[in-house]
Amino acid sequence: MATSTESKPQSADDALAARDPKLLIHIYEMMVLTRAVEDRMVAMYKSGDLLGSLYTGHWHEAISVGSAAALGDGDYMAPIHRDLGAHLCRGMEPWQVMASFMGKATSPTGGRDGTLHYGRLDLGIYNLPSHIPANFPVATGMAFAAKYRGEDRVCLAFCGDGSTSRADFHEALNMAGALTLPCIFVVENNQFAYSTPVSMQTASQDFAGKASAYGFPGVKVDGTDAVAVYDAVEEAVTRARKGDGPTLIEAVTMRMHGHAEHDPADYVPREMFEEWRKKDPVELFERRLLDSGVLSDATAKETREKARQHAIDARRKALADPMPDGSTVEEGVYAD
Amino acid sequence: MPTKTDTEGVTYLEAIGQAMMSEMEADPDVFLIGEDVGQFGGAFKVTKGFLEKFGPRRVVDTPIAETGFTGLAAGAALVGLRPIVEYQFADFISCAFDPIINVLARHHYRTGDAMPVTMRAPFGARLRAGPTHSQSVESYFAHVPGLKIVMPGSPQDAAGLLISSIRDNNPVLYLENKYLYRRLRSDGPINLDPIPLGQAKVVREGRDVTLITYSAGVSQGVEVADELDKEGISVEVVDIRTLVPLDIDTIVTSVKKTARAVVLHEAARRLGFGSEIAAEVQEKCFWHLDQPVARITAKNTPVPTSPALEDATIPQPAEIAQTLREVARA
Repeated sequence: MATSTESKPQSADDALAARDPKLLIHIYEMMVLTRAVEDRMVAMYKSGDLLGSLYTGHWHEAISVGSAAALGDGDYMAPIHRDLGAHLCRGMEPWQVMASFMGKATSPTGGRDGTLHYGRLDLGIYNLPSHIPANFPVATGMAFAAKYRGEDRVCLAFCGDGSTSRADFHEALNMAGALTLPCIFVVENNQFAYSTPVSMQTASQDFAGKASAYGFPGVKVDGTDAVAVYDAVEEAVTRARKGDGPTLIEAVTMRMHGHAEHDPADYVPREMFEEWRKKDPVELFERRLLDSGVLSDATAKETREKARQHAIDARRKALADPMPDGSTVEEGVYAD
Repeated sequence: MPTKTDTEGVTYLEAIGQAMMSEMEADPDVFLIGEDVGQFGGAFKVTKGFLEKFGPRRVVDTPIAETGFTGLAAGAALVGLRPIVEYQFADFISCAFDPIINVLARHHYRTGDAMPVTMRAPFGARLRAGPTHSQSVESYFAHVPGLKIVMPGSPQDAAGLLISSIRDNNPVLYLENKYLYRRLRSDGPINLDPIPLGQAKVVREGRDVTLITYSAGVSQGVEVADELDKEGISVEVVDIRTLVPLDIDTIVTSVKKTARAVVLHEAARRLGFGSEIAAEVQEKCFWHLDQPVARITAKNTPVPTSPALEDATIPQPAEIAQTLREVARA
């Protein structure tokens, strides 16, 4: 069983120039947009635009975008609250995400749900409940349906390191293996489950290694390296499409903000933040693209400015959008 | 549509099997999933022969993973399939509580997406199976918006209501009383027409008192009512058939006629579904009632194993007769 638990270091010289430049630029643009929207939303949180707390994915951009970029249009996805980038890749609009955090009528749930719960089935995205990884068994079902119908679709599911302690993580992975389902499970190891460090969550040395217990490959990658994430997911997607079953991918990064914006994360050693601050996935990827000539300074600047403006426009629209009508509260409990 | 059933009638268990068979034949999106449902034919043999007929693609034996396969059913339903999930015993459904409550029940309200999952579970006492194989679980779920709850009391209803459950676009908890599986038989052939969810049925007309019940309480109640006839007490028996949605109008019409109401179920008393019915009846029929609404229920205990103990907690015919007598004659 090909279980690799050693992640390769992010290299400046990995022949980026030989890769499809359109794909690289797409990943770059989505990562930059993700960062711009989340930075804008942090400001919105601070200024009281949002209903409650804000969950961001700073330092998860390479994972969410790198993974989602490896999917085809017809594939399914079951992301979590660190994966704005994956949503944007599938066509979610930044203003819809903001509207969700504001409880607006125009949010994907019309204000019935809110904050980070903004998945859209028409984009192939499962809208998860709060109990992660409750999305994992659901992801096996979407993959099951694809296999049942003989369709060429896979399902990509995300969870955090904290989720791996739960029973549904085990049941989903075990079942996906037993039923040979076209699933890709990505564990975003960001070192903390709310305040609890990995060392207090498990005696295991890593999460990728857990795959060997389920009888399918586990791969550990540098979660700040968009190309490494893309390659690992792409290989897993290919494997799933061939009917060879699931793969578990552990992508290692750091949660650079608190669990949510209300949380100052005082439990994180400050040196840890300082160390990881040097590994900003967006800056690292931009630097590599510039070095390899895929991206010019002018284009980089333009991309960042476009993303910033996009986020500003999104905020303006979300703020102006209406709240739902309270008299509709009893509608939609049941489907017709 | 008549079935090829012999004239001796169909058991409650056979009716459930026939309904599933017919829906799986009619709709390729319907599949069956659960523990031991395939090669073993289910712990109670409800799905005997299904694997041979439909193959392993549509009759899926799973690992022991109630949370896992309930979530799987949700994901499959979201993208267009219509899963029938079998829990081996309703007692084990607590292992799937999280996906039922947080994934299935509220998904449509949260998103507008249909969630057509039928969850079948054998429940109930009187098999001397003890505290973790005999429970009545309906009240846990009746509190949760977004679920429908179906509890048939006859083979004909078992078939017709199951067909409607499978065709419904919502998560439906379909609770099968396992004591009735081979003990209850229809008088003649049954048909496989859908019976709408949310329609109670007056199964026995009477003048003096209304007995409101469901599942095993229906046949039990009718038997007692027939005995009480000899004493000159006329009992009307209302089978609510579905707890959610609840057809309160049929109950109210009957209670306004008899002016007396008794609720019967084998679930424990405290916050049993009878509490909800009693509250609804007093709100809607208070000035028509000659007596307080009475409840006949199991005691507030786990269901014990030993016959002497189990019989002491589950409602028995003598207790049902006595309560009906007291309410009817007072």
